[in-house]
Amino acid sequence: MTVTMDAPAATGAGGGVLERRYRRLLRGYPRDYRTEHGDEIISTLLETAEPGRTVPSARESLALLSGGLRTRVVSATRRPVWIDAVHLGVLAVSLTQLATLVPYATSVPLWTGLSALAVLLVMCGRVRLALPVTALIATKIGAVTLGRPWLDATLLPVYRDPLWDDGRGAALYGGGGPVAPMTGYALVILGLLVLAVRAPRPPARSWLWWAAVPALAAADPAGLDFSHGPGAPAAARITVELGLLCLAAWAGRVTRDPRWATAAGIHLVPVCAVYAENLGAHGVQDLAHLAALILLTALAAVAPHHARRHTPL
Amino acid sequence: MVFRMPKGSPAVSEPTYFILASLLDGPLHGHGIIKRTLSLSEERVRLPVGTLYGALDRLAAGGLITVDREETVDGRPRRYFRLTEQGTNLVSAEALRMQQAASVVTSRILRPGSAFS
Repeated sequence: MTVTMDAPAATGAGGGVLERRYRRLLRGYPRDYRTEHGDEIISTLLETAEPGRTVPSARESLALLSGGLRTRVVSATRRPVWIDAVHLGVLAVSLTQLATLVPYATSVPLWTGLSALAVLLVMCGRVRLALPVTALIATKIGAVTLGRPWLDATLLPVYRDPLWDDGRGAALYGGGGPVAPMTGYALVILGLLVLAVRAPRPPARSWLWWAAVPALAAADPAGLDFSHGPGAPAAARITVELGLLCLAAWAGRVTRDPRWATAAGIHLVPVCAVYAENLGAHGVQDLAHLAALILLTALAAVAPHHARRHTPL
Repeated sequence: MVFRMPKGSPAVSEPTYFILASLLDGPLHGHGIIKRTLSLSEERVRLPVGTLYGALDRLAAGGLITVDREETVDGRPRRYFRLTEQGTNLVSAEALRMQQAASVVTSRILRPGSAFS
């Protein structure tokens, strides 16, 4: 490596402020990337900035934000594809299962707590520990949907806590039979089994995933939410679902990698099971919701292949 | 990296083409590439820094460019990138493809007797 001196960047008196603001924007990049290349990028940013500028331009800010996100998804492709895809899919379904229980937390605190523990273990990559916890919750949910007093005595039906009550009197898993919930839990257990027998251990996931729980919880993701017309809970659920699916399609296109589409496909299975179990009960809005999920999942599946064939470097 | 674009399609986007072209005369660092790209494209391709480093990472991962050397200027690191043989071949092939495509039009409009001559 050579060490040379060069003329200072023409950034004027506001260079320090500008650098601080650029560094804030660089937080979108993975930590190891920032450590390795952060100073170099800052140096180039300051060299290209007009004299006297103290606020990053909108164009440069956008490029840094999208560059950070892009670098994150590209870094994720260093992990084994299928293990990563199954882990992500299992996490998404586990979060939905927790979100289903959250509005009933004071009635079934033990099971809501165990469901949160299962999510935490999956999120930290501790799949072998998550396996028995999930199996236990699955047994209890099976009991609730079948009206059996297994594992502990639970007064059925279980109604929502006042905080989450939307006036519809929705009961826990009251919108259908045991098939859809058991499909979801069977899928998670199967995924965890696959991950448990395969080395290496899946990586820890971002804590930001927890933010999806309250957004999904208000809408009761175990049932058909859209028959009752548009509302804030349905809007929150659809924003999270469609936002994540769009992100999956974009990540697949950028990296030409199928892991996000596979995870989206895993998430879609229990959703389809809800619709299959409630065949004939759903309205036009429910079908539009399902169609949107299928369409975006298909888009995420096609994106890597399309990018390989048609997107120039 | 294997490029499997359909025949006749551009293998690289316009910004990538100018980044590769800017390195034909020798290694450059990030700011140097931005300036050179701007002048080669007659001020058309103005690369934001975030976009440039994303493209450089992608091109390096694809084996089209590589880090030639590193320097420290005013306490800040600076990488100089250079074209690999694969990168030179790709940008040359792309230039020939565009030249051939351009000739389809220019050979007609510059022909004596044509409406544009």
